[in-house]
Amino acid sequence: MNIHLVAIIVSVTIFLFVIDLVRRRKLTFKYAMAWLIVSGGAILFAVFYRLLFALAALLGFELPSNFIFFALFCVFVFLSLLLTVFLCQQNNRNDVMAQKIALLEFELKELKKKLKVE
Amino acid sequence: MNTSNKKILIIVPAFNECGNIGRTVEEIRQLSPGVDVLVIDDGSLDVTADEARLAGGMVVSLPFNLGIGAAVQTGFQYAQRYGYDIAVQIDGDGQHDASFLNKIIEPILRDEADMVVGSRFLQKVGGFQSSFSRRVGINFFVHLINMLTGVKVNDPTSGFRAYNKKMIGLFSEYYPHDFPEPEAIVVAQQAGARIVELPVIMRAREAGSSSIRYFKTLYYMVKVTLAILLHMIRQKNRGGS
Repeated sequence: MNIHLVAIIVSVTIFLFVIDLVRRRKLTFKYAMAWLIVSGGAILFAVFYRLLFALAALLGFELPSNFIFFALFCVFVFLSLLLTVFLCQQNNRNDVMAQKIALLEFELKELKKKLKVE
Repeated sequence: MNTSNKKILIIVPAFNECGNIGRTVEEIRQLSPGVDVLVIDDGSLDVTADEARLAGGMVVSLPFNLGIGAAVQTGFQYAQRYGYDIAVQIDGDGQHDASFLNKIIEPILRDEADMVVGSRFLQKVGGFQSSFSRRVGINFFVHLINMLTGVKVNDPTSGFRAYNKKMIGLFSEYYPHDFPEPEAIVVAQQAGARIVELPVIMRAREAGSSSIRYFKTLYYMVKVTLAILLHMIRQKNRGGS
Protein backbone atom coordinates (compact mmCIF):
# COMPACT_ATOMS: atom_id res chain seq x y z
CA MET A 1 0.00 0.00 0.00
CA ASN A 2 1.03 3.50 -0.78
CA ILE A 3 2.02 5.81 2.13
CA HIS A 4 0.17 8.60 0.38
CA LEU A 5 -3.07 6.62 0.50
CA VAL A 6 -2.50 5.63 4.15
CA ALA A 7 -2.06 9.29 5.12
CA ILE A 8 -5.30 10.26 3.38
CA ILE A 9 -7.26 7.40 4.98
CA VAL A 10 -5.96 8.12 8.47
CA SER A 11 -6.59 11.87 8.33
CA VAL A 12 -10.06 11.45 6.83
CA THR A 13 -10.90 8.84 9.48
CA ILE A 14 -9.90 11.22 12.28
CA PHE A 15 -11.89 14.03 10.70
CA LEU A 16 -15.00 11.87 10.35
CA PHE A 17 -14.53 10.52 13.86
CA VAL A 18 -14.53 14.06 15.28
CA ILE A 19 -17.67 14.92 13.31
CA ASP A 20 -19.35 11.75 14.55
CA LEU A 21 -18.42 12.63 18.13
CA VAL A 22 -20.04 16.03 17.71
CA ARG A 23 -23.09 14.41 16.11
CA ARG A 24 -23.45 11.98 19.02
CA ARG A 25 -22.99 14.92 21.43
CA LYS A 26 -19.86 13.46 22.96
CA LEU A 27 -17.93 16.55 21.92
CA THR A 28 -19.16 20.12 22.00
CA PHE A 29 -18.37 22.55 19.23
CA LYS A 30 -16.01 24.54 21.44
CA TYR A 31 -13.70 21.57 21.95
CA ALA A 32 -14.25 20.03 18.52
CA MET A 33 -13.01 23.13 16.69
CA ALA A 34 -9.34 22.57 17.46
CA TRP A 35 -9.51 18.94 16.37
CA LEU A 36 -11.43 19.73 13.19
CA ILE A 37 -8.87 22.34 12.19
CA VAL A 38 -5.96 20.00 12.86
CA SER A 39 -7.46 17.01 11.05
CA GLY A 40 -8.66 19.24 8.21
CA GLY A 41 -5.09 20.47 7.79
CA ALA A 42 -3.86 16.88 7.84
CA ILE A 43 -6.25 15.95 5.00
CA LEU A 44 -5.11 18.96 2.99
CA PHE A 45 -1.46 17.97 3.28
CA ALA A 46 -2.20 14.28 2.70
CA VAL A 47 -3.99 15.05 -0.58
CA PHE A 48 -1.68 17.81 -1.79
CA TYR A 49 1.55 16.37 -0.45
CA ARG A 50 3.61 18.50 -2.82
CA LEU A 51 2.37 21.49 -0.82
CA LEU A 52 3.81 19.85 2.28
CA PHE A 53 7.17 19.24 0.58
CA ALA A 54 7.29 22.79 -0.68
CA LEU A 55 6.47 24.21 2.72
CA ALA A 56 9.10 21.97 4.37
CA ALA A 57 11.74 23.13 1.89
CA LEU A 58 10.69 26.74 2.31
CA LEU A 59 11.12 26.52 6.08
CA GLY A 60 14.51 24.84 5.62
CA PHE A 61 13.75 21.28 6.73
CA GLU A 62 16.09 18.70 5.17
CA LEU A 63 13.39 16.04 5.12
CA PRO A 64 9.64 16.51 4.83
CA SER A 65 9.20 13.87 7.56
CA ASN A 66 11.10 16.09 9.99
CA PHE A 67 8.69 18.86 9.18
CA ILE A 68 5.72 16.58 9.85
CA PHE A 69 7.10 15.56 13.25
CA PHE A 70 7.87 19.13 14.14
CA ALA A 71 4.43 20.35 13.09
CA LEU A 72 2.71 17.53 14.98
CA PHE A 73 4.76 18.30 18.06
CA CYS A 74 3.73 21.97 17.91
CA VAL A 75 0.09 21.05 17.43
CA PHE A 76 0.09 18.77 20.46
CA VAL A 77 1.84 21.27 22.67
CA PHE A 78 -0.74 23.86 21.70
CA LEU A 79 -3.64 21.46 22.16
CA SER A 80 -2.47 20.37 25.60
CA LEU A 81 -2.06 24.00 26.64
CA LEU A 82 -5.58 24.67 25.47
CA LEU A 83 -6.83 21.66 27.40
CA THR A 84 -5.02 22.87 30.52
CA VAL A 85 -6.83 26.18 30.20
CA PHE A 86 -10.17 24.38 29.96
CA LEU A 87 -9.18 22.20 32.90
CA CYS A 88 -8.34 25.23 35.04
CA GLN A 89 -11.62 26.85 34.14
CA GLN A 90 -13.52 23.71 35.12
CA ASN A 91 -11.51 23.43 38.31
CA ASN A 92 -12.32 27.01 39.30
CA ARG A 93 -15.98 26.56 38.55
CA ASN A 94 -15.97 23.34 40.52
CA ASP A 95 -14.49 25.11 43.55
CA VAL A 96 -16.99 27.97 43.33
CA MET A 97 -19.84 25.50 43.06
CA ALA A 98 -18.61 23.43 45.99
CA GLN A 99 -18.43 26.57 48.13
CA LYS A 100 -21.91 27.65 47.09
CA ILE A 101 -23.36 24.19 47.74
CA ALA A 102 -21.73 24.02 51.17
CA LEU A 103 -23.15 27.42 52.16
CA LEU A 104 -26.61 26.60 50.77
CA GLU A 105 -26.63 23.27 52.57
CA PHE A 106 -25.77 25.03 55.80
CA GLU A 107 -28.53 27.58 55.31
CA LEU A 108 -31.03 24.86 54.47
CA LYS A 109 -30.17 23.00 57.69
CA GLU A 110 -30.55 26.18 59.73
CA LEU A 111 -33.91 26.91 58.11
CA LYS A 112 -35.16 23.41 58.83
CA LYS A 113 -34.05 23.75 62.43
CA LYS A 114 -35.94 27.04 62.73
CA LEU A 115 -39.08 25.52 61.22
CA LYS A 116 -38.99 22.67 63.71
CA VAL A 117 -38.79 25.07 66.63
CA GLU A 118 -41.75 27.13 65.50
CA MET B 1 -13.30 46.19 75.51
CA ASN B 2 -16.58 46.95 73.84
CA THR B 3 -17.16 44.47 71.05
CA SER B 4 -20.90 44.11 71.47
CA ASN B 5 -21.86 46.39 68.60
CA LYS B 6 -19.66 44.56 66.10
CA LYS B 7 -20.58 41.28 64.44
CA ILE B 8 -17.55 39.04 64.70
CA LEU B 9 -17.06 35.74 62.90
CA ILE B 10 -14.32 33.29 63.76
CA ILE B 11 -13.43 31.23 60.70
CA VAL B 12 -11.86 27.88 61.56
CA PRO B 13 -10.75 25.85 58.53
CA ALA B 14 -10.44 22.17 59.44
CA PHE B 15 -9.42 19.10 57.47
CA ASN B 16 -9.40 15.83 59.41
CA GLU B 17 -8.95 17.60 62.74
CA CYS B 18 -11.00 15.36 65.03
CA GLY B 19 -9.33 15.38 68.42
CA ASN B 20 -8.34 19.04 67.96
CA ILE B 21 -11.36 20.84 66.57
CA GLY B 22 -13.70 20.34 69.53
CA ARG B 23 -11.21 21.80 71.96
CA THR B 24 -10.45 24.70 69.61
CA VAL B 25 -14.13 25.62 69.25
CA GLU B 26 -14.81 25.28 72.98
CA GLU B 27 -11.81 27.42 73.82
CA ILE B 28 -12.92 30.19 71.47
CA ARG B 29 -16.48 30.15 72.80
CA GLN B 30 -15.32 30.23 76.42
CA LEU B 31 -12.86 33.07 75.92
CA SER B 32 -15.01 35.17 73.59
CA PRO B 33 -18.66 34.40 74.25
CA GLY B 34 -19.99 37.15 71.97
CA VAL B 35 -18.60 35.81 68.71
CA ASP B 36 -19.89 33.32 66.16
CA VAL B 37 -17.66 30.36 65.39
CA LEU B 38 -17.86 28.99 61.86
CA VAL B 39 -15.95 25.79 61.19
CA ILE B 40 -15.27 25.07 57.53
CA ASP B 41 -15.02 21.30 57.29
CA ASP B 42 -12.89 20.91 54.18
CA GLY B 43 -14.17 17.51 53.09
CA SER B 44 -12.87 15.73 56.19
CA LEU B 45 -13.07 11.95 56.20
CA ASP B 46 -13.33 11.75 59.99
CA VAL B 47 -15.88 13.16 62.44
CA THR B 48 -14.47 16.71 62.40
CA ALA B 49 -17.88 18.21 61.53
CA ASP B 50 -19.77 16.37 64.30
CA GLU B 51 -17.13 17.19 66.88
CA ALA B 52 -17.23 20.88 65.95
CA ARG B 53 -21.04 20.96 66.04
CA LEU B 54 -21.06 19.24 69.42
CA ALA B 55 -18.69 21.88 70.76
CA GLY B 56 -21.17 24.55 69.72
CA GLY B 57 -19.74 25.74 66.42
CA MET B 58 -21.62 26.36 63.20
CA VAL B 59 -20.32 23.94 60.59
CA VAL B 60 -20.20 24.41 56.83
CA SER B 61 -19.12 21.19 55.16
CA LEU B 62 -17.49 21.37 51.75
CA PRO B 63 -18.49 18.38 49.60
CA PHE B 64 -14.86 17.44 48.99
CA ASN B 65 -11.41 18.66 49.94
CA LEU B 66 -10.76 22.02 48.27
CA GLY B 67 -7.64 23.03 50.15
CA ILE B 68 -7.07 25.57 52.90
CA GLY B 69 -7.42 28.64 50.66
CA ALA B 70 -10.83 27.77 49.27
CA ALA B 71 -11.97 26.68 52.73
CA VAL B 72 -11.03 30.00 54.31
CA GLN B 73 -12.59 31.82 51.36
CA THR B 74 -15.88 30.01 52.05
CA GLY B 75 -15.72 31.57 55.50
CA PHE B 76 -15.24 35.02 53.97
CA GLN B 77 -18.20 34.41 51.69
CA TYR B 78 -20.33 33.53 54.70
CA ALA B 79 -19.13 36.63 56.56
CA GLN B 80 -19.87 38.77 53.52
CA ARG B 81 -23.35 37.32 53.05
CA TYR B 82 -24.35 37.86 56.68
CA GLY B 83 -22.76 41.26 57.05
CA TYR B 84 -20.07 40.54 59.63
CA ASP B 85 -17.85 43.46 60.57
CA ILE B 86 -14.81 41.44 61.54
CA ALA B 87 -13.54 38.01 60.52
CA VAL B 88 -10.83 36.16 62.37
CA GLN B 89 -9.08 33.14 60.94
CA ILE B 90 -7.89 30.55 63.44
CA ASP B 91 -6.50 27.17 62.44
CA GLY B 92 -8.49 24.17 63.59
CA ASP B 93 -5.47 22.20 64.77
CA GLY B 94 -5.18 23.89 68.16
CA GLN B 95 -1.93 25.69 67.32
CA HIS B 96 -3.43 29.11 67.83
CA ASP B 97 -4.15 30.33 71.32
CA ALA B 98 -7.66 31.80 71.39
CA SER B 99 -6.76 33.96 74.36
CA PHE B 100 -5.09 36.29 71.84
CA LEU B 101 -8.36 36.75 70.02
CA ASN B 102 -9.31 40.03 71.66
CA LYS B 103 -5.84 41.38 71.22
CA ILE B 104 -5.71 40.56 67.52
CA ILE B 105 -8.98 42.32 66.69
CA GLU B 106 -8.16 45.40 68.72
CA PRO B 107 -6.41 47.34 65.91
CA ILE B 108 -9.44 46.64 63.70
CA LEU B 109 -11.90 47.83 66.34
CA ARG B 110 -9.87 51.01 66.65
CA ASP B 111 -9.80 51.23 62.83
CA GLU B 112 -6.02 51.28 62.75
CA ALA B 113 -5.71 48.25 60.50
CA ASP B 114 -7.60 46.38 57.79
CA MET B 115 -5.75 43.17 58.43
CA VAL B 116 -3.91 41.92 61.52
CA VAL B 117 -1.43 39.05 61.40
CA GLY B 118 -0.65 37.17 64.58
CA SER B 119 3.08 36.61 64.61
CA ARG B 120 5.09 34.16 66.71
CA PHE B 121 8.40 35.82 65.80
CA LEU B 122 7.68 39.46 66.55
CA GLN B 123 8.82 39.24 70.14
CA LYS B 124 10.59 36.28 71.58
CA VAL B 125 7.56 35.58 73.69
CA GLY B 126 8.17 31.87 73.72
CA GLY B 127 5.82 29.11 72.72
CA PHE B 128 6.11 27.08 69.57
CA GLN B 129 8.69 28.62 67.22
CA SER B 130 8.66 26.01 64.42
CA SER B 131 11.56 23.87 63.26
CA PHE B 132 14.82 25.29 61.94
CA SER B 133 14.13 24.48 58.30
CA ARG B 134 10.66 25.96 58.53
CA ARG B 135 12.08 29.16 60.01
CA VAL B 136 14.56 29.42 57.14
CA GLY B 137 11.67 29.09 54.72
CA ILE B 138 9.56 31.62 56.58
CA ASN B 139 12.47 34.06 56.62
CA PHE B 140 12.76 33.72 52.87
CA PHE B 141 9.13 34.81 52.49
CA VAL B 142 9.63 37.70 54.87
CA HIS B 143 12.27 39.07 52.50
CA LEU B 144 10.44 38.15 49.30
CA ILE B 145 7.25 39.91 50.40
CA ASN B 146 9.22 42.85 51.71
CA MET B 147 11.05 43.14 48.38
CA LEU B 148 7.90 42.91 46.27
CA THR B 149 5.54 45.04 48.32
CA GLY B 150 7.62 46.97 50.82
CA VAL B 151 5.62 45.46 53.67
CA LYS B 152 7.51 43.71 56.44
CA VAL B 153 5.56 40.84 57.96
CA ASN B 154 7.67 38.68 60.25
CA ASP B 155 5.44 35.62 60.20
CA PRO B 156 3.90 35.51 56.71
CA THR B 157 2.84 31.86 57.01
CA SER B 158 0.81 32.49 60.14
CA GLY B 159 -2.82 31.52 59.71
CA PHE B 160 -3.93 33.48 62.78
CA ARG B 161 -5.38 36.65 61.31
CA ALA B 162 -8.11 39.22 61.70
CA TYR B 163 -9.80 41.18 58.93
CA ASN B 164 -12.24 44.07 58.72
CA LYS B 165 -15.24 44.42 56.44
CA LYS B 166 -13.19 45.74 53.54
CA MET B 167 -10.94 42.66 53.57
CA ILE B 168 -13.92 40.33 53.95
CA GLY B 169 -15.32 41.81 50.74
CA LEU B 170 -12.01 41.55 48.93
CA PHE B 171 -11.20 37.99 49.98
CA SER B 172 -14.71 36.63 49.44
CA GLU B 173 -14.18 37.62 45.79
CA TYR B 174 -10.61 36.45 45.43
CA TYR B 175 -8.46 34.48 47.81
CA PRO B 176 -5.36 32.49 46.78
CA HIS B 177 -5.99 28.76 46.85
CA ASP B 178 -3.09 26.41 47.48
CA PHE B 179 -0.85 27.71 50.28
CA PRO B 180 -2.52 31.06 50.64
CA GLU B 181 -1.07 32.79 53.69
CA PRO B 182 2.00 34.53 52.20
CA GLU B 183 0.21 35.32 48.95
CA ALA B 184 -2.79 36.78 50.76
CA ILE B 185 -0.48 39.42 52.26
CA VAL B 186 0.59 40.46 48.76
CA VAL B 187 -3.04 40.53 47.59
CA ALA B 188 -4.03 42.64 50.59
CA GLN B 189 -1.15 45.07 50.16
CA GLN B 190 -1.99 45.55 46.48
CA ALA B 191 -5.55 46.38 47.48
CA GLY B 192 -4.15 49.12 49.69
CA ALA B 193 -4.81 47.39 53.00
CA ARG B 194 -3.24 48.57 56.24
CA ILE B 195 -1.49 45.48 57.59
CA VAL B 196 -0.54 45.29 61.25
CA GLU B 197 1.38 42.50 62.92
CA LEU B 198 0.99 41.58 66.58
CA PRO B 199 2.93 39.08 68.67
CA VAL B 200 1.09 35.89 69.64
CA ILE B 201 2.15 32.63 71.20
CA MET B 202 1.58 29.45 69.23
CA ARG B 203 1.57 25.91 70.45
CA ALA B 204 2.82 22.73 68.84
CA ARG B 205 0.07 20.64 67.31
CA GLU B 206 -1.92 18.46 69.65
CA ALA B 207 -3.01 15.74 67.24
CA GLY B 208 -2.71 15.00 63.52
CA SER B 209 0.01 16.42 61.32
CA SER B 210 0.68 19.86 59.86
CA SER B 211 -0.32 20.45 56.26
CA ILE B 212 3.25 21.57 55.61
CA ARG B 213 5.38 18.54 56.42
CA TYR B 214 9.03 18.85 57.27
CA PHE B 215 10.45 17.34 54.08
CA LYS B 216 8.08 19.35 51.96
CA THR B 217 9.41 22.70 53.13
CA LEU B 218 11.54 23.31 50.05
CA TYR B 219 8.74 22.33 47.69
CA TYR B 220 6.43 24.64 49.59
CA MET B 221 8.90 27.52 49.26
CA VAL B 222 9.32 27.09 45.52
CA LYS B 223 5.62 26.73 44.95
CA VAL B 224 4.56 29.73 47.01
CA THR B 225 7.31 31.87 45.48
CA LEU B 226 6.08 31.03 41.99
CA ALA B 227 2.50 31.66 43.06
CA ILE B 228 3.40 35.09 44.43
CA LEU B 229 5.43 36.01 41.35
CA LEU B 230 2.61 34.84 39.08
CA HIS B 231 0.22 36.90 41.14
CA MET B 232 2.34 39.98 40.51
CA ILE B 233 1.94 39.67 36.73
CA ARG B 234 -1.76 38.86 36.88
CA GLN B 235 -4.26 41.32 35.44
CA LYS B 236 -6.09 43.38 38.00
CA ASN B 237 -9.80 43.17 38.78
CA ARG B 238 -10.18 39.58 37.76
CA GLY B 239 -12.32 37.71 40.22
CA GLY B 240 -11.59 34.23 41.49
CA SER B 241 -14.18 32.48 39.35
